[in-house]
Amino acid sequence: MAAAIDAPAAVPPVRPRDPVVWLRRNLFSSWPSAVATLVLAPAVAITLFRFVRFLVVDARWEIVRVNLALYLIGPFPRDQVGRLWIALAVLAVALGAGAGAIAATARETAEAAGRPLNAGWGERIRRAGPPVLLVVGILAFASGVEPVLLTVGALGLGAAAAAVTQRLSPRGRRAVPALTVLGIGASLAIISRFGGVPATDWGGLLITMFYTIGALLLAFPIGILFALGRRSTLPVVRWGCTAYVEFFRGSPLITLLFVGWLILPFFLPPDFPTPGLVTRALIIFVFFTSAYVAEIVRGGLQAVGRGQREAAQALGLTPWKQTRLVILPQALRAVIPGLVGQAISLFKDTTLVLIIGQSDLLAVSRSVTKQDQFLGQGYIVESLTFVAIVYWVISYWMSRESQRLEARLGVGTR
Amino acid sequence: MDTQHGQDELIGKRLVPGGTGEVMIELRGVEKWFDDFQALTGVDLVVGRQETVVIAGPSGSGKSTLIRCINRLEQHDRGRIVVDGIELTDDLKDIQEIRRETGMVFQSFNLFPHLTILDNITLAPRHVRRKPKKEAEEQAMQLLERVRIPEQARKYPGQLSGGQQQRAAIARSLAMEPKVMLFDEPTSALDPEMIKEVLDTMEELAESGMTMMCVTHEMGFARHVADRVVFMSDGGIVEVDDPDTIFSNPREERTKLFLSQIL
Repeated sequence: MAAAIDAPAAVPPVRPRDPVVWLRRNLFSSWPSAVATLVLAPAVAITLFRFVRFLVVDARWEIVRVNLALYLIGPFPRDQVGRLWIALAVLAVALGAGAGAIAATARETAEAAGRPLNAGWGERIRRAGPPVLLVVGILAFASGVEPVLLTVGALGLGAAAAAVTQRLSPRGRRAVPALTVLGIGASLAIISRFGGVPATDWGGLLITMFYTIGALLLAFPIGILFALGRRSTLPVVRWGCTAYVEFFRGSPLITLLFVGWLILPFFLPPDFPTPGLVTRALIIFVFFTSAYVAEIVRGGLQAVGRGQREAAQALGLTPWKQTRLVILPQALRAVIPGLVGQAISLFKDTTLVLIIGQSDLLAVSRSVTKQDQFLGQGYIVESLTFVAIVYWVISYWMSRESQRLEARLGVGTR
Repeated sequence: MDTQHGQDELIGKRLVPGGTGEVMIELRGVEKWFDDFQALTGVDLVVGRQETVVIAGPSGSGKSTLIRCINRLEQHDRGRIVVDGIELTDDLKDIQEIRRETGMVFQSFNLFPHLTILDNITLAPRHVRRKPKKEAEEQAMQLLERVRIPEQARKYPGQLSGGQQQRAAIARSLAMEPKVMLFDEPTSALDPEMIKEVLDTMEELAESGMTMMCVTHEMGFARHVADRVVFMSDGGIVEVDDPDTIFSNPREERTKLFLSQIL
């Protein structure tokens, strides 16, 4: 057949990449856009220039250099820091192992579907950008080589764990999720149990990450349950879930934190063991976030066509399996951007724990400026800039990863 | 019983099942209401084992509603539905049992877009019949050979043409080894050149001895493959007969009118 076709192969039209053409098309396509370009371009350039000049020339970074430990761990007892390094190493191994297993599964699925992932170096560098920037940015302020070596060592262990799990057979990988969860639990136990430091004495980035990750891990499954409950055919379940969601969505987080801090203990029976301050704050974050997650997921559930449920019913799947195997996976894929948005929002909302007296990253950034050597000299600018960049890099990282995940799961393409 | 008999006479072979003569599906006085609109006005029909019945009629005549009642995608309000000796009641166990024995193919395919074709097919055997993964996949590959798309096994539904998707959907239903297959306008969403490949698959299925109820506008398929054609209008059965009789010599005015419009 192919030999019979002797027409020349069709050639796509060549589009010249002329910078002048590009400029004309994108920045000077009409009079208004030319004016906007001429006004905005210098403004952007000046702002960027001044920001960079501040970062590398003007800023007095000694406030960060001197107080780096405070930013990272707050009032955490310094003689117990060894526990943190061990926990960091355990956590790196746990998360590395999990990431390796996920990457291997993704690679195999993509290859089986006939479209290998083929991540180029550019893609890899872009992906590694935010976390590398974060680690390097923090280590730049470290004094001595010890923290650098320990950090690099922990990350190396994590990378090694990822390399190992990536090479496991699909069967061998089955144990990995349990090990990852175990590792996360172990790292928490290493810090706080066995004569360790209770969470009330944690601070800085450590307590920020603890609240964020802890609340996310608990709020997501709970939120999904409430989303399903709101669509239940049983009126009592439906009303209960609706009341929960509307109550926690309708109250300001700061009020809820006050309730958890001051009012909740009054309502508990006297002989009831009142949970610790940090636990109460964590529970409030979980309640608040799960209500939002429930609404986001409910939107996703409604976006799944009726035919999907019917096809699952017709195949004889039980109602729970219809939801778990057919409806929920599609619903969650559809709402990845919303869920990640909620995660980022929670990450930033954890700054409110300063009202219950905890020194999180933001609280530290203000308190260090009250030290004698920095008092009254406007160091708040440097301090807040550093913290803002840390928040931004982590948020941006989450956002980038969510876009990757979306692209890979093919949202909108099928 | 007398009036029943009288009606049977009136509309031909209505209660005489074809196929092997054994009863597979029995519908007695089935009624369905959507609020105050009556979608089914007391339908009686018996389908025999290995019989292929095509249900035709204008849109809104209750064809889809009728077959959707058989596997409880719609709940009938009055009458009896019995599938292979199991009566369809509110008992969840009976519903599950009937659904396991009844495959359904939809107009819009309804493949699960987040799963590969292979996973679409093995999902129910693995989770309902508890088949080991390997066994389920071997069976799935055999079914894909049968519907002639084995090379699509690892792709996602969105990567397939409409005709391929519908054949994959048929394979997915067959994986549950159903005794009855229900087709709800399986070719209505397809481009013309893809209709034939789906109809061929259905014809082979009918020849293999499957009991089938097909709602379709493909009169060529009805003429060549069906054992009986049921003509429905306004929620009731107007006429039931073998395809030759109903196409060349329909008794009812409404049937004649419909056929004159569609042929």
